[in-house]
Amino acid sequence: MQALPRFSRAALAAAALCAATLSSPLALAAPPADQRADASSAPANSADTATWRALSRLGYGPTPALVAQVRQAGGARAWALAQVDAAFAASRLPPAPAPELAAFDQPLPQIFASVKAEREARRALRDARADTPPGNAMTPPMAGNINAKQAASPDMAPELSYIKDSAQGAAAWRLAACSQPTLENPLLARLTEFWFNHLNVSADKGAARAFVGHYVLHAIRPNVLGRFEDLLLASARHPAMLYYLDQALSVAEGTMQGERRRGLNENYARELMELHTLGVNGGYTQNDVRELARVLTGWTVAPQQPDGFRFAPRLHDDGAKTVLGRAFGPTDPRDARAGEAEGLTALHLLATQPATAHRVALRLAQWFVADQPPPALVDQLARTFQSSQGDLRAVMRQLVQSPAFWDPSNRLFKTPLDFTCSAMAATGAGTDDERELRRSAGFLNNAGQGLHRWPTPDGYKTDAATWRSPDALTRRADLALALGRGAPDLGWLQPFLSPATRARIAAQPAQLQAGLMLASPDFMNK
Amino acid sequence: MNTSHPRRRALLAGTLLAAGTAALPRAWAQALPTARGQGRLVVVFLRGALDGLSAFVPWSDPDYARLRPGIAIPPPDGSGQSTIRLDGSFGLHPALAMLEPLWREQVLAFVPAAGSPDGTRSHFDAQYQWETARPGQSGDAPGWLNLLAAQLGGAGGDAQPRILGVGEANPRLLAGREPVQLVAHGKAAQRAGALENPRQRETLMALYDGDDAVSQAFRRGAAERMDTARTLSADLQQEMQAASNGAAPPALLEQDARNLATLMRKDRSLRLGFLSAGGWDTHVGQGAASGQLADNLRKLGAALAQLRRDLHEPGDVVVVASEFGRTTAENGTRGTDHGHGNAMWLIGNPVAGGRWHGQWSGLARANLHEGRDLPVHHDFRAVLAQVLRPTFGLQDRQLAAVLPGASWDARLDGLLRRA
Repeated sequence: MQALPRFSRAALAAAALCAATLSSPLALAAPPADQRADASSAPANSADTATWRALSRLGYGPTPALVAQVRQAGGARAWALAQVDAAFAASRLPPAPAPELAAFDQPLPQIFASVKAEREARRALRDARADTPPGNAMTPPMAGNINAKQAASPDMAPELSYIKDSAQGAAAWRLAACSQPTLENPLLARLTEFWFNHLNVSADKGAARAFVGHYVLHAIRPNVLGRFEDLLLASARHPAMLYYLDQALSVAEGTMQGERRRGLNENYARELMELHTLGVNGGYTQNDVRELARVLTGWTVAPQQPDGFRFAPRLHDDGAKTVLGRAFGPTDPRDARAGEAEGLTALHLLATQPATAHRVALRLAQWFVADQPPPALVDQLARTFQSSQGDLRAVMRQLVQSPAFWDPSNRLFKTPLDFTCSAMAATGAGTDDERELRRSAGFLNNAGQGLHRWPTPDGYKTDAATWRSPDALTRRADLALALGRGAPDLGWLQPFLSPATRARIAAQPAQLQAGLMLASPDFMNK
Repeated sequence: MNTSHPRRRALLAGTLLAAGTAALPRAWAQALPTARGQGRLVVVFLRGALDGLSAFVPWSDPDYARLRPGIAIPPPDGSGQSTIRLDGSFGLHPALAMLEPLWREQVLAFVPAAGSPDGTRSHFDAQYQWETARPGQSGDAPGWLNLLAAQLGGAGGDAQPRILGVGEANPRLLAGREPVQLVAHGKAAQRAGALENPRQRETLMALYDGDDAVSQAFRRGAAERMDTARTLSADLQQEMQAASNGAAPPALLEQDARNLATLMRKDRSLRLGFLSAGGWDTHVGQGAASGQLADNLRKLGAALAQLRRDLHEPGDVVVVASEFGRTTAENGTRGTDHGHGNAMWLIGNPVAGGRWHGQWSGLARANLHEGRDLPVHHDFRAVLAQVLRPTFGLQDRQLAAVLPGASWDARLDGLLRRA
C-alpha cells in the first residue's frame, strides 16, 4: 500500500485544467508526450550515481571539493569506508562554531547562570510593570539599568535574549555544519543529525531551550561513532534531556519539598524504553515503565557541576523494584553510590537488549538505505551491534560496505533539511553571509522541520510518505530559485542530473539555470 | 455571532428527510441520514493526549478533587476562574468559555469515556492507530479519512480532491489513494511564492514536465497553491476592509481554522477537513483554571468557534479527539501521565448537543482502567460510525470499508439527531 496520495491521470488532467483556468502558462508549458522522460531515472554514468549517493547520504550532497575528494579516494565505495574513520577522528576534536554563535557553547554552569539571570531580569521587569502606573516613567526597581521600553525589544537587551540567542545560534551552527564540509566532516554532521533525532529534545520546551545546542555538541557529537551505551548515558545525564522529558523533576513518591508532596513522573522512563532503546513492541509493560521511573528517581540537574548532572539520594526511591524481570534494591538510603548505580545498571540492561540492537539497526537502515529497508540488512546490522557491544563505528562500517547501501533500487527522498543543506552546500550559501543561514532556518520552520524544534520525543520522520507533498515541493522551488540567484556557476552538477532534466534546464534563461538545477526532481533524491 | 439561524435551517432540512428508512439494515436503523447524506466533516486532532478531564470537568464527582489536589478545576461558582456548569455532572474548563453558547444552543455534545480498545500508552502508536482506525495494528495502512473520501460519490468529479488538510506535511489520517489538498500553516498558505511571477512559473512548469512522482506532485501542488493563495488572499482583503478594530492577530490554530473553513466554503467538492494541534502532553505543571493547559485550551476554543461561525450548514459536523486520555490522578509533578479513555467532542447542527452521550462510571478507583485511568466505554470507531453514517449516507459495507472491524454501538444512538 502506497502511503502517499497517488494521483490518477484524470486527477492530473483536472489539475492542469484547473491551472489553465487560472493562467494559461501552466498548461501551455507541456511538450508532447513523446518527448517526456522519467526525470528520476539514473544519470548515464553509474560512477556518478554512486558518488551522488555516497555524498548525499553520508553527508549532505556534493560540492566541487567533495567530488574531487571522491575521485582521489578511487571511487565512492573507498571514500565511504574512509569517511567512517575520518568522521570518528573529527568527533574526537572539539567543534568550531563561529564566535558569534558561541553563546550556546559555554560551559554548563555558565549556561545555567545566564538562564537564571534572564529569568530574574524578566521577573523583575514584569513586577515593575505591574507596580508602575501607566504613564509613570519611574525607573523599575530591581531591573538594573534596563528600562521597560528597551526590554520590549529583546534585541536591545542582551540579558533578556540569552535563551533565544542561544537557540538560534545552535540552529545556525547545525546549518553551517551540514552545508560547509570544511567546517564539519559531512558524515559527522549527518550522524549528529541522526542521533540527535533518535534522542530528540526540543528547543520549544522552555526549560530545555538554552541547553539544546550544548546537548548537540557535547552529548551527541562526541559519541556518534563510539559505544551506544555511552551515547545513551550522555543523553540521560544532560540537562537538555533531564528537562525535556521531566526526569529532573521525577522523585520518589511522597517526597516532601517544602510544603509540597511530590512524586513520580513517568515521561522519561517511558520514552527511554519506547524510543531510545527497546521500541514500542520491545517487550516491556506499563509496570516496567513505572518501575524504571522509580529506579531513575534522584537523577536530576546540577547547575554548579561541570556536567550539569547530579544524583540526589534524598529524592531516590530506595525500595525494591523490578524492571524487565531484573530486581533492583532495596538500597541503603545512606549509600548514594548504590542508588545511582541502579540507574546505570538499568541503562546498561536496556542498551544491551536484542530489541534495542534491532531498533537501532532498523532506524539506521531507514535513514541511510531505504524507507523500507531489506530485512536481511537490518538483521545483519543488529548482529554486528550486539557482537561489538554496541560499537557504532563497526555498525557504520558494515552499513557502507553492504550491497543494499549501493543498490539503486533503494531510493531515498530528501527531507526538507536534506534539501536545504544540500542546496546550501552546492551554492556555498551561508559561508560568508549569516542572513542566508537565517533564511534557510526560516524555510525549515515553515516546512515543518525546524532545527531542534520537533516537539515530541519520537524525532522527525524521514520517509518520502511524510515529506513528498505537492504544496511542499513548490515551496522548495521558492528556496531553490532564491539560492540560485547570484550563485556561482553550477555546471559541475550536470553529470548528476538525468539527460531529460539537463535538456529542460538548457532551454531556460541562463540566469535561472542554477536555481532550476536545485529545484529539479533529480535534486530531490539522495 | 448569530448561530440560531443555521440551527433553524438544520431543523427544516431534517423534516425533508422522512423517506428512505425502510431500505436501511436494521442494525443501523436508528441513525437516519441528515441533510440527505450531503454533509461535511472536519476532524480536529489533538496530538499529545489532551487531558479530557480538564476540558469536560466531572465537577460533582467526589473523587475528582481528591485525585487532583493541585490541578483540579474549581467547582462552578460563576467567577470565570472555575468550571462552567453544563449539568449536574460535567462542566467546561473556563478557558473554553467560547464554546458555552454552543452547548446552550444544543450543537455541542461529548462522549466522556471514548477511546481505543487497544491499551497502548505510546503517543505515536496510538495516533497511528487512531488515524488508520486499526487499534492494535501497526502495519502500513491508509488513513480512514482517505478511505471515507473513496466512499463519497460525486457527479463525474472523481479527480477533485474531497479532502483538505491544513498545516501538517502529510498526516497519516489523509494518506491513501484518494487525492488530497494540503495547504501550509497560517499566513504561508496565502502566498504563491515563485509561482506568482509568470515567467518563473512557466520555467518551473517546464522543469517539472516529467512523469516521475516528484514532477507529478509538483504540478498538482502548483495548481493548488495558486488557487489556495488566490482564494485566501481575496478573503483576507474582505476581512481587512471589514476592519477588526485592532484586535490581536489570531493564534496559528485559529488562522488555520479560518483558512480551512474559507477553502471549504469556496470549493464545495471539499467535504472532509483536517486540522491538528499539539502541545497537550502536560506531564509537568499543567495548571488548573489558568496555566499552560488553559492557554492551549483557549486557543482551541477560539479555533472551534471560528469553525462553527464558518461551517454551520445542516450537515456540517466537527469532531475533536485525541489519541488517548491522561491519568485520572495528578502525578508527582503537578501534571498527568499517559492514560487511556478520553472525551470525544462533536459540534454541528446535526449533533444532539447540550448533553453528553454514552456511559460514564465516575472516578472511583474500582471503576478505573487498571485502577488509574478512565476506561474506554465506547470505541472511537463506534463514535465515528454514528457520525459518518448519517452525514454521508453510508451503507454498512461502506462503513466497514472506512472503519474496518468497528461494530455499531447502540448505546450511542441519538448522538446525532433523528430526522
